[in-house]
Amino acid sequence: MDLLSNLQLAFSVIFQPGNLLFCFVGCLIGTLIGVLPGLGPVATISLLLPSTFHITPVSAIIMLAGIYYGAMYGGSITSILVNIPGEAASVITCLDGYQMARQGRAGPALGISAFGSFIAGTLATMMIMLVAPPLANFALKFGPPEYFSLMFLGLTVLTYLASGSMVKALMMACVGIFLGTIGTDNISGIERFTYHSYTLMDGIGLIPVIMGLFGISEVLLNIDQAARQEIYKTRIANLLPSLRDWKDSILPIIRGTFVGFFLGILPGGGAVIASFAAYAVEKKVSKHPEKFGTGAIEGVASPESANNSASQGAFIPLLTLGIPANVVMAILLGALLIHNIKPGPLLIRDHPDLFWGILGSMYIGNIMLLILNVPLIGMWVKILKIPYPILFPLILLFCLIGVYSVNNNIFEVIIMIVFGIIGYLMKKFAYEGAPLILAFVLSPLMENALRQSLIMSHGSFSIFFTRSISLFLIASALFLLLMPLLPWFRKRPKGGDFD
Amino acid sequence: MKRYDQISSLIWFFFAIYICVESIRLPLGSWRDPGPGFLPLLVGLILAGLSIICFMQARMAESTEQKASWYSRKRWKNLIWVLLALLAYALVLDHLGFLMSTFLLLIFLFRFGMEPQKWFWAIGGSVIASVSCYVVFELWLQTQLPKGILGF
Repeated sequence: MDLLSNLQLAFSVIFQPGNLLFCFVGCLIGTLIGVLPGLGPVATISLLLPSTFHITPVSAIIMLAGIYYGAMYGGSITSILVNIPGEAASVITCLDGYQMARQGRAGPALGISAFGSFIAGTLATMMIMLVAPPLANFALKFGPPEYFSLMFLGLTVLTYLASGSMVKALMMACVGIFLGTIGTDNISGIERFTYHSYTLMDGIGLIPVIMGLFGISEVLLNIDQAARQEIYKTRIANLLPSLRDWKDSILPIIRGTFVGFFLGILPGGGAVIASFAAYAVEKKVSKHPEKFGTGAIEGVASPESANNSASQGAFIPLLTLGIPANVVMAILLGALLIHNIKPGPLLIRDHPDLFWGILGSMYIGNIMLLILNVPLIGMWVKILKIPYPILFPLILLFCLIGVYSVNNNIFEVIIMIVFGIIGYLMKKFAYEGAPLILAFVLSPLMENALRQSLIMSHGSFSIFFTRSISLFLIASALFLLLMPLLPWFRKRPKGGDFD
Repeated sequence: MKRYDQISSLIWFFFAIYICVESIRLPLGSWRDPGPGFLPLLVGLILAGLSIICFMQARMAESTEQKASWYSRKRWKNLIWVLLALLAYALVLDHLGFLMSTFLLLIFLFRFGMEPQKWFWAIGGSVIASVSCYVVFELWLQTQLPKGILGF
């Protein structure tokens, strides 16, 4: 009856009026920024992070989590109606969603993505309840070598799944690790790469880097491209999918949920990759794959479910191992550390209200989002009509205030602007930001684990290969790293095959 | 992309050299007890190696059609204006105070950012946005926004 008492705890936490309010605010903001192109969950969560310092850690995480999975709901609206993804995890939804809208089926497309997201979110929450506590128990056996190997694997998976060149992704991971070493070394107390700057002594802040790479650079790109948004003029009717629609999409929703959940747990995975994978799976199992891309409802239902369950599955490594699976989780890790809570195997035992409170908030949040996204869809469509020349100064302003208010330090604002320029150039030269950020966050943790392991083993790297869990993790990582080289041994590569 | 990859990998290569040179000056420690320079040096070496691979890959790749230019041909002036405005904002924020500098920044961005908005809308929008941010962040969330010489 352990589960029942835990459920009771979950709902007692979420039904405190304060938490319920923050959950709602999170879901509302999440849908909003999901609808607005050019302001993703990453930038928003780092923006609102400073304002959560005054509230309890449980409320803070509930709100920030709501923004993340709320954005997954909102993102589909723009994909379907405007053919511009509101955020990256909804890119694939454009393919069939926009076609459905053009055929006058915007209603069912929006409806099935909201219901699919709801089903996926709820199932994913249940799975977290079953998977997380045993995993945390298992993780108690982890020492520094296991942690190092796990983080190494996480970074490798991320670079392996990178959409562009794997070499470039690995380069970005190196740059991220380097950026993470800037500041005072916490073992010897020696300053590294600080050039006597007072701000750099504490290390480069996570928030200015993220806001620069994902917020400012995105705005710069949008000014550049100046995409004129044409909302497909159609009456949004029949939001409730018909019985036939349900029959077509219930299995894709369930498959999408599972694909998304497992890719979400995997360090380095996440909602974007999950949505692409789910779409690919549907196309494979479908009896009429040629219909995909012309408005097949399965092509909307499955990725939209997958990105939702992935965004919730991603909480598992954070809450059980203390390792962020993606950039958003990295920011949440930062948020927990600011509130003096160290995520790791002991979190569920030491802060049960936090763990079960987040789970409770996911059940309630998904219900709130269903209400926000089905009956209130008209409101979001209106927001879509704000033109970008009016919107972008406000986005920039939010970034400025957000960064400044962390430490009231102008220098961090300048760091953000610099990373904005770097991020802009990285996009233009086809380098990805995600490996950089994840490596940047993991860098101090990895360095500690590496140095502690080497001290334990008296300087021998064999410690990573003689402990079974660590060996397994390192071997998987090496396998992924070496896999692209395999064709080299079999036959000469065709030109350009490698990127 | 071929040319771009060659240029960018060279930039990263020189950055890697910088990392290595700077980290050698830090105590490196030994294998038994790695010092603060250990990880940066390791990462710098790996980055240097990877950028060489990236350079070679780009050299060997068949030249593909040139993708869109890395700077925007039409709007690069707007981009420079926006960046300068942001830097200027960072520099004057402590002196002019939040309300004044935000108001000026927003007017500038509305007028010169992408497409010039009408003065009436630019000024009206800037007033509303800066005052409401002041109310939300300073008065409600109690963020300590800079007051500046004017005292607000």
